[in-house]
Amino acid sequence: MKTALLTLAALAAFEAAAQAPAAPPAAAGRYAKSQDWTAYPLLLPALGGGRGERLAVRLGPRNLHAAALDVFAADGSPEQRHRQVPVGEDGNAAVAPVAPAKGNYTWVVAREEDATHVTVASTVAYFSNPGKAPTALLREPRHELEIVPERLPREHANYRESEKWGFLVRFNGAPLANQVLKLDTDNGSRGRFLTDAEGRAVVLFPRDFRPAAESRGHGHDHGPPRARFVLAAELDAADKHYLTAFNYSYAPDADRDRSLAWGAFFGVLGMAGALPLLRRRKPFKDGGQIDA
Amino acid sequence: MLKALFPTLARFRLAVQLIMLALTVYGSVVVGHYAAEKISGALPALSCAYDMQNSAYCVLIPTQHQFHHRIGEGIVRAQQVTFQIVIPFLMTVLSFFAFFVVIGKAFCGWVCPLGTIQELVARIGRRFGFGLRRFVPGDLGAVGRVRPVKWLLLLALVFLLPLLAGLGVASHSLGNPYCDICPSRLATTLLTGNTEQLALRTNDGIAFALGAIGDALFGFLLVAALAVRQPFCRICPLLAWNSLFQRLSPLRLVKTPHEACAKCGVCSQACPLDIAEIAQAHGRKAFHEDCTLCGRCAEYCPQDGVIQLKWGPWALFASGREYYKRRVKAELPDGSVKPVRFAAREHA
Ligand code: SF4
Ligand code: SF4
Repeated sequence: MKTALLTLAALAAFEAAAQAPAAPPAAAGRYAKSQDWTAYPLLLPALGGGRGERLAVRLGPRNLHAAALDVFAADGSPEQRHRQVPVGEDGNAAVAPVAPAKGNYTWVVAREEDATHVTVASTVAYFSNPGKAPTALLREPRHELEIVPERLPREHANYRESEKWGFLVRFNGAPLANQVLKLDTDNGSRGRFLTDAEGRAVVLFPRDFRPAAESRGHGHDHGPPRARFVLAAELDAADKHYLTAFNYSYAPDADRDRSLAWGAFFGVLGMAGALPLLRRRKPFKDGGQIDA
Repeated sequence: MLKALFPTLARFRLAVQLIMLALTVYGSVVVGHYAAEKISGALPALSCAYDMQNSAYCVLIPTQHQFHHRIGEGIVRAQQVTFQIVIPFLMTVLSFFAFFVVIGKAFCGWVCPLGTIQELVARIGRRFGFGLRRFVPGDLGAVGRVRPVKWLLLLALVFLLPLLAGLGVASHSLGNPYCDICPSRLATTLLTGNTEQLALRTNDGIAFALGAIGDALFGFLLVAALAVRQPFCRICPLLAWNSLFQRLSPLRLVKTPHEACAKCGVCSQACPLDIAEIAQAHGRKAFHEDCTLCGRCAEYCPQDGVIQLKWGPWALFASGREYYKRRVKAELPDGSVKPVRFAAREHA
C-alpha cells in the first residue's frame, strides 16, 4: 500500500516535473538532495530540525544548487538583518536569529542563476524568541519573481488543511495578475490557483492527511503532525525563465482525531460532580459567623 | 469623577478584571495578528497559547517546555548547557518575575482570566441564593487540607512530568501535562467560540485521559463556583508559583495587630480564599501564600488602617470604618447581596 502511494506520489511529481520544464534535474549535485514529493525547489530543515527553535535551524536547498542561503530577519541592525550563510558539506546551512534574544520570523532564500534561468526557493524559519512582526519583512521585494504569504501562522498555530490563506505573487516588486500558482504537498496532492488583479491567490490547503495521521511528524513532538507544501510560480520574461517557490508546512484539520462528544461528556460529568455543593445550607447571619 | 465611576475598590477591581479578560482572551483583535505575540511578552501568565485570538503567552507553557525540551533533553545531550538551558529558562523566569515585581500577586486577583470568570459565576450564585460553602471546620473542612494541592500540581505537572518526558523516561504525551488539564485553556478558548480544546484526542490514550480530567475539572469548577469562592485558585499551580516571589514584590498586604481581631474575623469571611490567617495573625503571616491581593479583607475590616494594600511605602488602600459601613450596605462580606425588595419608595 505504502509503496503504491509512494509510486503514485513519484509519478505525480514526475508529471509536475514534466509540466515544469525549467525545474532543475533532481539529485544532480553536491547540494541537491531530491525530494520524492515535488520537483520544485525547496528549503528544508536537516533531519531533527524543526520550527520554533530558539538558537538555530539547519536548512538546506533541495532541487536546486546554492552555495549559500540569504537570510533576512525582521528585526536587528541593517547589517544584522541580511546575512549570507554558506551551505556546508552536509548540504545544510545554519540559520540563526540575529541575536539570542531576537527571534520571530526569518525569511530564507536560496537562488540559482545562469544566463537563461533564475530559480529561487524560499521559506520562513521561526524562532520562538520575541521579535518584530514580519509585516515589513514580507513586503520588501528581494527577487524578480516572488511568492509571499499574506500572513504567516502565529506561534502554536499552523496553516491547516481545508483552510484558505492568501499568497501574493510579485514580479520586480509589482503584483503579478493572472499568474498560475501551483501547489504540491508532501501528502501527494496537487493544486493550481490563479492570482487576481492585485496579484493575490487564495490557496485552499487540501484535506489530504491520511487518517492515522502519524505521517512524517516534522517539527517538535507535540502539536499536530505537519506535512510540507510548496507553492511555485513560473514566468518567462526578457529571455529568462523564472521559477520561484515558497515552501512551509501545514497541519491536519483541528477536528481530526478529536471527539467533542467525549469532551462534552466529561465536562458534564464534572458539572454533575459539583452538584452536591449546591445543596443549600443556611446562609450566613448578617456579617456574622457560619452556622456549623 | 473617578469616585463616581468607582465608588468602591471592588468596582475598580471589576473594571480592571473585565478589561484584562478581554485582553487575555481577545487580545489580537485589539492589537493585530502578529502584534498579539508582542503584548504577550508583557502579560506572561494565563494568556493561553491555545487561544488563537489572544496574546498567547503563559509562563506555565514555556516552563513545561523548558523542562521537557531544554532541561530534560539537554541533560540527555549534556551539551551547551548555559546557552541552551540556563539562559532560555532564566529568560522565562525573569520576564515572569519582572511582571510580578510590578503587580505581585495582584495578577491573581486582578488579571487572571480564570479568576475573573470564577468570580462572575460566583456573583450569579449569590444572586440566585445558592448557599455559600466555605473551607472552614464544620463546612467543607479546614482550608489547610487543600493548600498543599497547588504545590503538588506545580511540582508534578509543571516541573517533574515534563522533565521526565524530556529525559525520555515518561511519554512525550506528558510534555505539557499542566496545559492539558488547565481549565483556563478551556475557558479562554471557549470564550472565543473554539471548541477544539474541549474535544478529546482519540488517537492517544494519555492525551485522552488528561483531556478528560481537564474537561471534568472545568465542568466541576464551573458549577462549584456557584457555591465555593474561587474553587480553582485554591489548587492553581500559578498561585503557588506566584507565592514564591510574593515577598520580593513591593505590592503587598499589610496587617497590623488590633485587639478587636480576637472577636471579629470579618476579613476572613470576606476573603475569597478563606484565609483565616488574615484575621488571626498579623505582619508576614497575614500576607498568606494563598492571598490574591484582591483587597476584600481591607474593604471589610471596620478598623481604620488595620489592613492596607501597599506598593512600596505607599498605601494604595486602607481599611476604614466609614468605608466599611458603606460597603456592607451593598454587599455582605461573603459576597451575598441584599435581596431586591419591591417596596414603595419612601419620600422625605
Ligand atoms: S487575604 Fe485579603 S487580599 Fe488576600 S485573598 Fe484574602 S481577601 Fe483578598
Ligand atoms: S476585619 Fe479587621 S478587625 Fe476584624 S479580624 Fe480582620 S483585621 Fe481584625
